[in-house]
Amino acid sequence: MKRASTLIAPLLLAATAASVAAHPVTVTSCDREVTFDAPPSRAISNDVNLTEMMLALGLSDRMVGYTGVSEWKTLDETLRANVDQLPELSPDYPTREVLLGADADFYFAGWNYGMRVGGEVTPQSLASFGIAVYELTESCIHVMKRPKSSIEDMYADLLNLGLIFGVEDKAEALVEGYRQELADFSANLSHGEAPGVFIYDSGENKPFTAGRYAMPTALVEAAGGVNIMDDVESSWVEIGWEAVIERNPEIVVIVNYGEVSADQKIAFMKDNPAFKDIPAVRNDRFVVLEYVEATPGPRNIAAIKRLAAEFNAN
Amino acid sequence: MSHHHLVAGPRHAILHQLPLILAALAFLLVATMVAAVSLGSVAIPPETVWGVIANHLFPGSVEVTWSGGRDNIVWEVRLPRVILGATIGASLALVGAALQAITRNQLADPHLLGISSGAALGAVIVLLHTGMFLGLATVPLFAFGGALLTTALVVFVANFSDATDASRLVLTGVAISFVVTSLGSLGIFLGDPRAAHTVIFWMLGGLGLSQWAQLPYPLLALLCCGCYLLANARHLNAMTLGDESATTLGIPVRRFRMVVFVVCALLTGAAVAFAGVISFVGLMIPHIVRLVVGGDYRRVLPLSALVGAIFLVLADIAARTIIPPQDIPIGVITGLVGGVFFVALTRKRKPR
Repeated sequence: MKRASTLIAPLLLAATAASVAAHPVTVTSCDREVTFDAPPSRAISNDVNLTEMMLALGLSDRMVGYTGVSEWKTLDETLRANVDQLPELSPDYPTREVLLGADADFYFAGWNYGMRVGGEVTPQSLASFGIAVYELTESCIHVMKRPKSSIEDMYADLLNLGLIFGVEDKAEALVEGYRQELADFSANLSHGEAPGVFIYDSGENKPFTAGRYAMPTALVEAAGGVNIMDDVESSWVEIGWEAVIERNPEIVVIVNYGEVSADQKIAFMKDNPAFKDIPAVRNDRFVVLEYVEATPGPRNIAAIKRLAAEFNAN
Repeated sequence: MSHHHLVAGPRHAILHQLPLILAALAFLLVATMVAAVSLGSVAIPPETVWGVIANHLFPGSVEVTWSGGRDNIVWEVRLPRVILGATIGASLALVGAALQAITRNQLADPHLLGISSGAALGAVIVLLHTGMFLGLATVPLFAFGGALLTTALVVFVANFSDATDASRLVLTGVAISFVVTSLGSLGIFLGDPRAAHTVIFWMLGGLGLSQWAQLPYPLLALLCCGCYLLANARHLNAMTLGDESATTLGIPVRRFRMVVFVVCALLTGAAVAFAGVISFVGLMIPHIVRLVVGGDYRRVLPLSALVGAIFLVLADIAARTIIPPQDIPIGVITGLVGGVFFVALTRKRKPR
């Protein structure tokens, strides 16, 4: 976050001067084409990772608040400092009333990131109120067919937000910076055998994990590993423990958020005799990713580096 | 017919004052609805509420001093929601009363005979498997279709196995309900787990999806089915006495039972399609009404409709104001409040 802002500071002036004339702009949001006649000025974002994308583009002055964070206790110090002046309008998914009550003109959310398929808050249900919706690319799998998840999905969201808010220069600089950072990093990465990685989000009776279309699959691959569940045709998905034991992951990535701590999740896996022969458990190879690092957002690059460091820690 | 005393309950002085009671309850319903529009997660002063409503009915009658968002909250979110709540409450209470008569079963309610599980299955198929390929109308259409198909199945199986008497109709309905519920669970299991939250929300019921464009359908269902049931109140009275007695009164018992069942399915399907599965209202409201005015369906039906409407609007106020800005699923409220209230009521009326 901090690095990004120092990187684009010189470009700020140029960006604001050049961008206002670009409207109307049309962006693709999942299976919709959305046209903006002017940049939104009363935006609301849902969840920590989406809110961080807005902040990375310096859009806090265009926002009237955020939603869907407290319920999962995922707000860390960095983010808290940055959203300091913004109110949390709802600890969980917002109702239509919350968005209307804030006189919002824009809602940045995703499917299962602040909107439910068939729920009361959807792009269609908000359209008549003049609230435009941009959907998180990773979550589009819930409403349409998509290719496997990629770090490009996160870039696409930043670039689209840049277009929508008339800060495309800033967005392009930010994304270009990420691309460069990742390319430099990959060039120095030793290409050994790709370790099998299991993403453990939550659940004891059944594990909740990241399938083919969830961001961690892309993060693990960028770090030189392979998600052992990348053939599961879902985004975030509940599976059975047998498949985990069968596929013998060498590394387990814990997604840290909510009531059960990362240590408790690790302890659960270590204490269960069924998992004792899984290489990751036997060799104590656990990596903890914060929720905001494992979901699409500006911290994905740092997450990839942390994963790679762990993969090569032999 | 008119000389038959078909009233199962006590003969209260109340019986002769039906129009007065109906008027009082209607007034109470309107008052409750007005309160419901004023209350919610966003605090909107009553004068703004009235201003918005007046301005939409008579454009330009009041000077606009409120934001567009507030206007939308009152006119596009709360008002349709409150009207939908009243409609659904009345529908479910009517269905419960009618089913309790034709099955002669104290525990009959709209969700007992498989109607709701069919609607839920329809919704699960859309939400988790096909997607909203017909836009916003997809879920209500499938839910309604599921309710009707399940009802058709129950009627078919009941006729096929010659189980159209009261108790065996209940058994058939419950059996089909189990099958359809299992199919629904399988659908949830096979679907995306995070989308399953949507289904859970839908199965607990709620009025959050309400909008003007959809209101005519449940209202029309209530009007048509409600009129049919009211017109047949005497027949329902006869049904409570048993099949033999009803036959001697000249009622084609088996056919009448099936027709009422299908009418109830239409009404339940329309209710569930727009608000999910809301429990308790259909089961308990008729009992509460009968405790007060006795068992004559000419009174039980209209009073159940009004009390059901008032109750559900009140429950929705609670759902929206207990932990703002979040909506508690309304089924949770109806179950909690209703259960306690009913226990208190039965205790009070214990024979000494």
